[in-house]
Amino acid sequence: MEKLLNVSASPHLREPYLSTGHVMYDVILALMPVTVFGVWHFGFHAFMILAVSVLTAVMTEFIFDYITHRENTIKDGSAIVTGLLLGLCLSPTVPLYIPYLGSLFAILFVKCVFGGLGQNFMNPALAGRCFLLISFTTVMTDFGIDGVSSATPLAVLANGGTVNVLEMFLGFTDGTIGVSCAAMLVGAVYLLITGGITWHIPGSYLLSFLIFMGLIGGQGFDPMFLLAELCGGGLMFGALFMATDPVTSPITGRGQLIYGVVLGLMTAIFRTYGSSTESVSYAIILGNLVVPLIDRVSVPKPFGVGDNAKKPKPKIPKAAVALTVITLLAGLALGGVNALTADTIEQQAIAANAAAYAEVVPLAEEFGYDDAISANVEEFADDVYGRGTYGNVYINEVVVGTDASGNVVGYGINVTTADGFDGNITMTVGIDTDGTILGISFTELNETAGMGMRVDEDSFKEQFIGVQVDSFTLNKNGGSTAEDEIDSISGASTTSGAVVNAVNAAIDFFANYIQ
Amino acid sequence: MPKLTFRGGVHLKDYKDLSANAPIVFHQAQGELVFPLSQHIGKPAIPVVKKGDAVLAGQIIAKADGFISANIITSGSGKVKVIEPRMTSAGVMAQCIVIDNDGQYTLAPGVGEPCDCTRLTREEIVEKVRAAGVVGLGGAGMPTHVKLSPEHPEEIDHIIANGAECEPYITCDDRLMQEQPGWIIGGLRVMLQLFPHADAVIAIEDNKPAAIASMKKAIEGEPRMSVAVLKTKYPQGGERNLVHAVTGRKMTSGDLPANLGCIVDNVTTLAAIYRAVCLNEPLMEKGFTVTGDAVAEPHNFLVKIGTSCRELLEAAGGLKAEPKKVLIGGPMMGMAITDLDIPIAKSYNALVCMTHDPVEEAESKLTACIRCGRCVRACPVGLVPQMMAEAAKAKDYGRYVKLHGLDCIGCGCCTYICPAKRPLVQLFKQTKPVVLSLQSQGKL
Repeated sequence: MEKLLNVSASPHLREPYLSTGHVMYDVILALMPVTVFGVWHFGFHAFMILAVSVLTAVMTEFIFDYITHRENTIKDGSAIVTGLLLGLCLSPTVPLYIPYLGSLFAILFVKCVFGGLGQNFMNPALAGRCFLLISFTTVMTDFGIDGVSSATPLAVLANGGTVNVLEMFLGFTDGTIGVSCAAMLVGAVYLLITGGITWHIPGSYLLSFLIFMGLIGGQGFDPMFLLAELCGGGLMFGALFMATDPVTSPITGRGQLIYGVVLGLMTAIFRTYGSSTESVSYAIILGNLVVPLIDRVSVPKPFGVGDNAKKPKPKIPKAAVALTVITLLAGLALGGVNALTADTIEQQAIAANAAAYAEVVPLAEEFGYDDAISANVEEFADDVYGRGTYGNVYINEVVVGTDASGNVVGYGINVTTADGFDGNITMTVGIDTDGTILGISFTELNETAGMGMRVDEDSFKEQFIGVQVDSFTLNKNGGSTAEDEIDSISGASTTSGAVVNAVNAAIDFFANYIQ
Repeated sequence: MPKLTFRGGVHLKDYKDLSANAPIVFHQAQGELVFPLSQHIGKPAIPVVKKGDAVLAGQIIAKADGFISANIITSGSGKVKVIEPRMTSAGVMAQCIVIDNDGQYTLAPGVGEPCDCTRLTREEIVEKVRAAGVVGLGGAGMPTHVKLSPEHPEEIDHIIANGAECEPYITCDDRLMQEQPGWIIGGLRVMLQLFPHADAVIAIEDNKPAAIASMKKAIEGEPRMSVAVLKTKYPQGGERNLVHAVTGRKMTSGDLPANLGCIVDNVTTLAAIYRAVCLNEPLMEKGFTVTGDAVAEPHNFLVKIGTSCRELLEAAGGLKAEPKKVLIGGPMMGMAITDLDIPIAKSYNALVCMTHDPVEEAESKLTACIRCGRCVRACPVGLVPQMMAEAAKAKDYGRYVKLHGLDCIGCGCCTYICPAKRPLVQLFKQTKPVVLSLQSQGKL
C-alpha cells in the first residue's frame, strides 16, 4: 500500500458495459437489418447515399469540435446514428449532394450550435430531413425508378383502391431506403430487449394513431386500411427510431405515453386533412417542441406518496391544458391550410376538365349533363367500375357535347385509374356517338419523367384515335398492326396498361350506359 | 409463487462468491481496541471511564446521551489507554475511547449468564436491549430500543428480519443465517413476545439458497414465523423496498415502518437482541466480511467491535495485490477509506479491497446526459434523477423540492446505471443538506 488509495463518494460500482457509445452503437446495430435490406433492395446508389450521410455527419462534428476547441465527441457514435437515420429516410435516387447538405444541417445547426450531444431540442436527423423537404421538394419527393413513393399507396387507399400490405410490410416496394417494416421490427425488438428503447413511445404512438385514424380517416376501422396506413408513410420508422430518440423525447414512462398520443393524434390529423406526404416527420418535429412541457407535467409521485392516504381530487395541471391546446391548434392549423386550399384545387380541376373536354370532343360547341347518364355515373361513384375488370378504375363524370344546333356530337368521359406507378391517373376520353374514340387528354398524371410520363405523347395517344372497338389490348413488345392493339411505352408497361384499361372502361361504360 | 420484489432497482454482479463459502471465523483482536463515541444515529455517548481505568469485556464505557443514543460497550478487557480523536471511516477525526487490550477477554460479572427471557416484561426486555448498546447493525445504526418502542405497539403486525443482503461482496449475514440460525430465531422470539399481534417474516434474496434452506429448517415448529424469498435486486434490503416487497405496503419518505405496522431489523441485529436479552451478552461482536480481489483469503469473521481493520485484514491473509480502493461496507453505499488503521464500529459489516476502481474507469467515459431515462427506470423510489440533477446544477432548489428530491434514499442506482456516467446520487447527497438548511432557515 505504498500508493495512495482512490477515494470517491459511493456508489463505487458502475454498470460495466453501458456507456453513451454503447447506447449509440446499439442503435446502429438495430438499424443494420433495415440498412442491409435497403442497400440490397435499391442497390449501390443507396449505399452511397448512406455513406455520404454518415461521413458528412461525422466530419461535420469533428471539424466543429476542432474549430471551437471542444473535446472531440465523434467517438460516442451519436453523429453516426444521426447520419444513418437521415440517410435511411431519403429516397434511393436522390443525388449525393442531398445527404451531404442534410447531414451538414442536422449536425451543425441542430446539434452542434445548441451545445452538442444531449442538448438539441429537435431530432437532428428529422430536422435535416425537414430542411431538405422544404429546400428540395421535387428531388425529395421523387421516388424515382418507376417508383411508388411511400406515401402514394396511402393516396391509393384514400381513393378506395387496394394496396399490397404484405409487400409494404416486407419492404418490397419503392420508397425511402429504410422501407422495410419487417427489418425495422427486428432491430426494434433488439432495442426493446436490450433496454435501448421502451415500449411506451412506439406503443402509444402507433396505437393512438390507429384509433385516431379509424375515427377521422374516413374508412372506419377497416383492418386493411389501418394496416396499410401503419406500414406506409414512414410511420414505423418514425415511431420506432425517430420518436424514440432519447434526447428529444420525454424521460418518464408517463411522459412518453403522453408524447406518443400527441404524435399519434398529429400524424392522423396531418394524414387525413393535410396535403403533405410528410405527416410523420412534421408530427415528430412538432412533438419534439412540446417535450419540455410534457416533462413538466409528467413528474411521477415518489414511491408511496398518495398510496396510503386518501387520494385528493386530481387537478389537471395548467401545463397539461396548454399541451392539449397546442397539439390541437398545431394539428388543426396545418390540416386547415389544406382544407382551405382544397376548394381552389377543385376549381382548378374543373377548369382543367373543361379544357380537356373541348380537346377530346372538338366538334362540340357546348357541354352539358344528361340526367340519365349522370344517374348511372352516380351509381358507380363509390365503387371500382367493372368490378376490377379494368383494375382500379373510377368513372368520375360524363358530359354530353352538342354542336351549335343542339345535336349530340360526342361524349366526354372522365376516368381515374389508381393503377399508375405514381398515384392516380385521371384522363378524359372523347367518344363519338357510334363509339369511335375521338381523343384522350390527361388531367392528372404524375408518372416518371421520360418513362410513364410518355403516355401523354401524341404518338401514344394517337393509337386510340379514330378506332372503334369493344376493347383495346396492350402489346408490350411493340410493332402492333392490329387496330385494337396498343404499343406499350417501353419500360412503362404499368402506366401504359393502366391507361389502356381506363380507356376500355370508358368504352364499356359508353356501350352499356350511354348508347 | 412469484418472488417478491419492488419496482425499479438494478441487477448487480454480486461478487459474493469470493467469500460466500468461507465459514465464519471467530477473531479475538490482540491489538488495541478503539471505540468511537458515535457509532449510531443520535447523540454521541458520554464516556464513563477515564484514562488508566481497568475495564472488563462487556462493561459499559460510555453511556447513551438521551433516548436516541446508545451505550458503548468494550468488547475486550484491559486498561483505558486514552480518550482522544482518532480517524474513523468517514475520513474525519472523532472522539474515541482506546482500550489497551490485555488479550484475556475477561468478562465483566453477569455477562454471558443465560436467563429465561420468557418471564421478562416488555419494559425489562427493551431496557436490556438498550443497556446492551444494540443498534441497527445493517448499516444505519439506529438505536434498536427506539425501534422497539413504537407509539402503538398493538398495531405492529409484521416483524421483518432483513436477510436480503443486497450489497455486492458482503456475505456475513448469509453465513450467519447458515451457521447461527438459532440466534436469529431467538431474536425473533423476543420480538414476537414484545409484539403479540405480529408475525415474523425472514426475508432473504434468492441468491442465497443455503441461507433460505437453513432458515426454513430453523423455523420448523414456529407457527408465527415464515421465510419470504425475494428476487435478487439492489436495493432490496432498503427498508421501504423491503416492506413493500413483503407486505405490499408503501412507505413514504416521512414514514417509519412502524406507521405501517412493520418493524424491520437486520438478521445480525436480531442475533444481537437474542444475545443481549437471553444470554446477557451486550453488543461486543458482530459478523464482518473481509473480501475483494486484493485480499489473499477472503473471510467472514465474527469480530470484536473496536478491532482495527488492518489487524483483521492480516487475519484474512493480508493483501495479495495492490488495492486501488478500499471500502468500509459494500460498494453501493459504503465509504472509501484512505487508511486501514480505523476501528470496526457497530454498523460496519465489510472491508472490501479492490484492485480496480470502477469509478475511475467510468470517469474516462463521462459524456453529456443523453436523457435515456435509465435512471428514471432504476430509481426504486420513483424519482426523476435526470431532472433533479438539472435543478440541482442550476441551484433551483425550489424545483428540486417539487421534483421530490428530498425523497432520495441515496441508494446510487441512478449513478450505477447511467451510460453517460454522470455522478447523479453524489449531486443529490450534496444538495439535500443545502435544501434542508435553507428550509430550516425559512428561505425555501
